[in-house]
Amino acid sequence: MKESHPTIMSGPPGTPGPAPGWSDGEVNTSADSLALIEGEGGQAPPQRPEVAPTRRRRVPLILLALLAPTALFALALTILPLGYAVVTSFRSFRFGQPVAFIGLQNYFDLFRDSNFYRSLGTTLTFTIVATTVEFILGMMLALLLKEEFRWQGLIRSCLMIPMVVAPVVVGIVWRLLYSSDVGLLSYGVQLMMGHPISVLSNPSLALPAIILVDIWEWTPFMFLILLAGIQSLPQEPFEAARVDGAGPWSTFRYLTLPMLRPVIVVAVLIRALDAFTVFDQVFVLTQGGPGMATEVSTLMVYKTAFRFSQFGYAAAMAVTLLILVLFLSAAISRSLQGQVRQV
Amino acid sequence: MENPPPVHLSKSKSHRHSSWPVFRLLLLVSALGLTLVPVYWMINTSLKTQVEVFASPPTLYPQKAVLENYVSLFTRRNLGAYLLNSVIIVAGSVSLAMAMGSLAAYALARFHLGHLQERISFWVLATRMIPPVAIVVPIFLMLQYLGFINKYPGLILVYTAMNLPFVVWMMRSFFQEIPVDLEEAAMVDGATRLRSFWDIVLPLAAPGLVATAIFSVIVTYNEFFFALILTSTPAAATLPVGTAALIGKTQTLFGEMAAAGVVATIPLIAFALLVQRHLVRGLTMGAVK
Repeated sequence: MKESHPTIMSGPPGTPGPAPGWSDGEVNTSADSLALIEGEGGQAPPQRPEVAPTRRRRVPLILLALLAPTALFALALTILPLGYAVVTSFRSFRFGQPVAFIGLQNYFDLFRDSNFYRSLGTTLTFTIVATTVEFILGMMLALLLKEEFRWQGLIRSCLMIPMVVAPVVVGIVWRLLYSSDVGLLSYGVQLMMGHPISVLSNPSLALPAIILVDIWEWTPFMFLILLAGIQSLPQEPFEAARVDGAGPWSTFRYLTLPMLRPVIVVAVLIRALDAFTVFDQVFVLTQGGPGMATEVSTLMVYKTAFRFSQFGYAAAMAVTLLILVLFLSAAISRSLQGQVRQV
Repeated sequence: MENPPPVHLSKSKSHRHSSWPVFRLLLLVSALGLTLVPVYWMINTSLKTQVEVFASPPTLYPQKAVLENYVSLFTRRNLGAYLLNSVIIVAGSVSLAMAMGSLAAYALARFHLGHLQERISFWVLATRMIPPVAIVVPIFLMLQYLGFINKYPGLILVYTAMNLPFVVWMMRSFFQEIPVDLEEAAMVDGATRLRSFWDIVLPLAAPGLVATAIFSVIVTYNEFFFALILTSTPAAATLPVGTAALIGKTQTLFGEMAAAGVVATIPLIAFALLVQRHLVRGLTMGAVK
């Protein structure tokens, strides 16, 4: 934030630098207009040329004009929908019945809905397992590949492919691998076990299969962020550790890990939040099946709203999820930051 | 900081040195293999004939490479229409977001706003963190009220709003890297603020503009959740929605499914290679440079 402060551009042509009292001109409009009256009273200090007042008065207007479109969009398509989601969650939308205000009834129903808890459990399992494995794999890769090597750029580009490809296409890629008719994976399983299995229609294998897809897609993300973080660490502490004869594990435990913590917090937070609201790959691969084995929360909201037209109930679910996301992100950043103090 | 625990000068050190490159090479090769083989399998399948797709054991490369799957996609499955929709919607929303977001970013980078500055920055980040699922129901109801379901403007509006926080955040950091002196000099020479923004700041920030735009293009082009809910027919549906519908329709036509995946991916790979360097910065909203 520091560098954003001295960047004031209100200086009129010819002024060598902002005069005292000028730097706050944009916000402090009342003081500004006072100065303006003074100026018209003929007591203007010599370093304020006559063009100054008009220019200064125009600045907040420009500022407003520059910010207005973005603010309007954020208001209309983020803040307003959030409010409307809460309002909708107090309403009953049932087919063939008029929309009615029903207070907290949707929430009461939701908290008694065992399917909701089940999908929440599935989502949490998915999030925790996927994020943890991705973090560990990404960290290992980053540590082992941190030094410059040949074709680094090319290799990094190749590793980036899974996360750049559309999630829907990732779904296709893995459908082809998992399919019992044409799949490479299931052929391998057939060689080992003697009979083919259809991974995605097996209730106990479907969720691990989807977690594996997520790991394939997002480990490169962890790797790239952690690599960038590791490469930007100062070298002196590591040289000192080497001189003192520190082994690789203690160097990692007492130097890399603590110094990397801010990067780790960001990486884990982003990954966990995205995993918590996973939708595309699950939609393409299993549609939540078999049964409810892979019905993650976002998919449940989608089905409730757009297959069963229960918009009120879906909105209550969505609001609950949003609150959970806020708690989740607070918990993650707190627990990771808490470890900083320990070390 | 604690002192590092007592360390033993390991005698395995020389041993480690000799095995290190080999181990690293193995690791690198397996990481690359695990990443690329699934993608290769999709390309491989897309070039096979309908018969060869089901060959057992599966053939590792097409015995007779054919383009029939690709031809069928465009002649029978409307993929061309979906592609066109995607291009229009991505171009529309990214240019809108770039235009409005750059202006806002410039304002945030150049004007002193006191407390408001931090509050706006917080809002920009917060809107990025709100999961789509939290607002999808009201957005659907609002756009339905406006008659924008399964039409271009609906998705363009939503994607513009989706890209704006990111554009503002990225462009603000790019604008801050441009020295103020240059603009001051121009304004001394009589340029207005808008003129100095247009003639001096924008050209200097061009690499940043390009990187931000390309990144937004990738994210928008891939977006599926809102597209699925707000569009449905070839009249407005984007490529991911068309592809997903294809999966439902074709079921066992794995060749066509794979070809659709390849078609949807080719433009992206080209774009991603262009912004390779900026990709991490973009993914983390600049938290890591």
